[in-house]
Amino acid sequence: MEDINDVQNLNVAGEGKQYIVVRLENEQYGIDIKYVDNIVRQQKITRIPSAQHYFKGVINLRGEVIPVMSLRLKFGLKPDEYTNATRIIIIKPEDQSAIGIIVDEVREVVTLSADQIEKPNTSDNNDVQIQYLSGIGKHGDGLVTLLNIRSVINEKESA
Amino acid sequence: MDVSQYLEIFIDETKEHLQTLSDQFMVIEQEPENMDAVNEIFRAAHSLKGMAGTMGFKRMQRLTHDMENVFQEIRSENMKVSPELVDVLFRGLDALEAYLAEILETANEGTEDNEEICQTLNSIAAKATGKEAPAPAGGAAAPAESAGGEAAEEDSGSVDEKEKYTSIQITEYEKETFDKAKADNKNIFGITVYLQETCILKAARAFLVFKALEEIGEVIKSVPSIQDIEDEKFELDFSLVYFTDESLEKVKEAIESVSEIKEAIVGPFEVKGDAKEEKEEAPKEEEKKKEEPAAKPAKAQAAAKAAKAEDKKAAKPAAKAAKPSVGRTVRVDIEKLDVLINLVSELIIAKNGLVSMSSTDDSLHDSGFNEQIEYLESVTTNLHESVMKVRMVPIETVVNRFPRMIRDLSKKLGKKMELHMTGEETELDRTVIDEIGDPLQHLLRNSADHGLEENEERIALGKDEVGHIYLDAYQDGNNVTIEVRDDGAGIDIEKVKNKALEKGSITEEQAAVMSDQEVIDLLFRPSFSTAEKITDVSGRGVGLDVVKTKIEGLGGSIECKTEIGEGSRFIIRLPLTLAIIQALMVDIGTEKFAIPLGSIETIEDVMFDEVKLVQTKEVINLRGSVIPLIRLGQILEVEPGDYEPESLTVVIVRKGDKRAGLVVDNLNGQQEIVIKPIGDYIHCSKLISGATILGNGDIALILEANTLV
Repeated sequence: MEDINDVQNLNVAGEGKQYIVVRLENEQYGIDIKYVDNIVRQQKITRIPSAQHYFKGVINLRGEVIPVMSLRLKFGLKPDEYTNATRIIIIKPEDQSAIGIIVDEVREVVTLSADQIEKPNTSDNNDVQIQYLSGIGKHGDGLVTLLNIRSVINEKESA
Repeated sequence: MDVSQYLEIFIDETKEHLQTLSDQFMVIEQEPENMDAVNEIFRAAHSLKGMAGTMGFKRMQRLTHDMENVFQEIRSENMKVSPELVDVLFRGLDALEAYLAEILETANEGTEDNEEICQTLNSIAAKATGKEAPAPAGGAAAPAESAGGEAAEEDSGSVDEKEKYTSIQITEYEKETFDKAKADNKNIFGITVYLQETCILKAARAFLVFKALEEIGEVIKSVPSIQDIEDEKFELDFSLVYFTDESLEKVKEAIESVSEIKEAIVGPFEVKGDAKEEKEEAPKEEEKKKEEPAAKPAKAQAAAKAAKAEDKKAAKPAAKAAKPSVGRTVRVDIEKLDVLINLVSELIIAKNGLVSMSSTDDSLHDSGFNEQIEYLESVTTNLHESVMKVRMVPIETVVNRFPRMIRDLSKKLGKKMELHMTGEETELDRTVIDEIGDPLQHLLRNSADHGLEENEERIALGKDEVGHIYLDAYQDGNNVTIEVRDDGAGIDIEKVKNKALEKGSITEEQAAVMSDQEVIDLLFRPSFSTAEKITDVSGRGVGLDVVKTKIEGLGGSIECKTEIGEGSRFIIRLPLTLAIIQALMVDIGTEKFAIPLGSIETIEDVMFDEVKLVQTKEVINLRGSVIPLIRLGQILEVEPGDYEPESLTVVIVRKGDKRAGLVVDNLNGQQEIVIKPIGDYIHCSKLISGATILGNGDIALILEANTLV
């Protein structure tokens, strides 16, 4: 049985999963490419009064009004500094409407096989951010924090 | 001739006319003296008749003809509108609708003659005119005519009818011209021209006749007037008075040289009061004909039936061969189309900009290129929106059949009731419109049947004897809300509970702890009806759950509120991805907001010293009423601007009886905006009901004034 599972894993792993690697401050995060609809430049964001603090507002993406959240604020980092490299990644989960997340930079697309991914250490529950992680990917020299994008965009408890 | 290409137009217009008829019948039922309505009906019936005739739908033509006759009598005040008449008219309307349905299905009007309705109509008309023999005049001539075939048509009129020109009235002023013409030794003719029934461009034919005549003489007067003829406001004939040097034959020849003319009757014309010597000459040949129709109505009818039968046989296979392809069409406001055309031309300009840029191939133009792309993007976005707008249809198209339905229900159930509708102009997407009719009908029937009490009961309760049912549609932020309410008995919570217990849908324990609202929600469960007696109007237990399923299928929701003795209210909310509203655009700080125009009452300029404090709250005294001020900037956490204005711009909004003044920094005019949902990720305040995209691509938030008041 184990053999068969291994073979299947290998098959999947052989193709691997593609992640978009983005930078926030000095850390790298990976977003499963199947959720990514689009990547757009930083543009004018219309503020929404009394929204959650990490929501910057809404943007107009080809006639659709799309809410935009700041990953930095969500993760408790410093407020965004908009630069030329700042991008908004439009996430479109199958059964939900689109949402944009602001990142400092989009680096590259990487393919990670299963053996390059380490499951997060779930015993370390002190970290609020742990719920947003789906694993740690090893890519070249660097480490990529793989985001559990559904839990990022769907608020479970007020951060 | 082949008229199939006009079939779609015919169907569209017939629908429109039938709706007019239905509406106006309701009006005259309420106000039998309403001449506007009578005229409206007359016109609609008349147009219908003409159209049906052109298309060769003889039965339809006949029925409308008879309706028209009746209204002719009413118009000339020979009779009054009676309840019996209205009933017959409604039956006639149903028959016409049946014809239309049949035409939609098979491109043929079917074989139902509706003899009885025609007869009734005719006898009513006949009674009014006091004619002793109703059949030959209207009744027989019409069927003979409708039996089709040139032969029958020949018999259609008597002498007096044919020589219509004899009835032309001549004024004093015109008399002078007559005398002059006589002095000049001109021939004065009266002419009545009959066009072929198949003639489609009647006005054009008439114009040609006039042209031909004016080459050899002078047209002094025409009935109907030249203006009306140009506007095609006439049936198949028109009459005129004509001066010429030419002979009668020559004139006749000239007229008949125009095609699609059935007959031209030319005769010497005498001013009334003058000698009538020559008058006999012309009618002679017609004399014979006159006898014929009178003598043979029965025969004609028989022949007509036979002809019809043949018609049927001949028409059926033909119809089958050419099964009509009636497409689903939307009538589009011309303004919306203009917007589309504008956008398309902008699109072409944008494209040309790109083309010229690529041909110059200069790297210096890079920024220009981006600009062009952005322009293109905004144009296409607008184009998309406009196209979607075209799909929006006012809810009127569904609800306008309800007054009729309520009227029928009222008769059927023996209860007096009235339907009041508001907000028919609220626009909904075409797909929603198509689906919402049945649920609404269900709810209205429920209200009429179960909601309203019997008349006696109402009187006993001290209520108005006539029950009232209301259908209100309005835009509510991102939703369109449709409310169906009545002032009937309301829903008896205990009764519902007991019923549910009886059916085993809930247990005793559940029943004990259920809130009223929960009990009412039971109504939306499948197979639940509290009607004690099952009528054929409603109450088969397939009511509200079906309504609910349907509305939820459209992405909407339904809730019910009720008060014993006061009535109940069903509230349908339909979410709109593309609702369009008129809104006032305002600036607050540097941000732009839209306030729906519907909730705005006035806009006031208020000086600072007019603002008073009541319990630390700012209020203004506006023409005697105290209105609380709401500083939108503070509520919306907008960073205040630097400048200090001398006065406050206050937008007064109202919700029901309550009013509030919203302080804004600047007004930016009124605009039609498309409401876009913000999505459910952001827990934005209730103040914001959605967003809209402005012409420059910016987003403005829509303020829900209702929550502020």
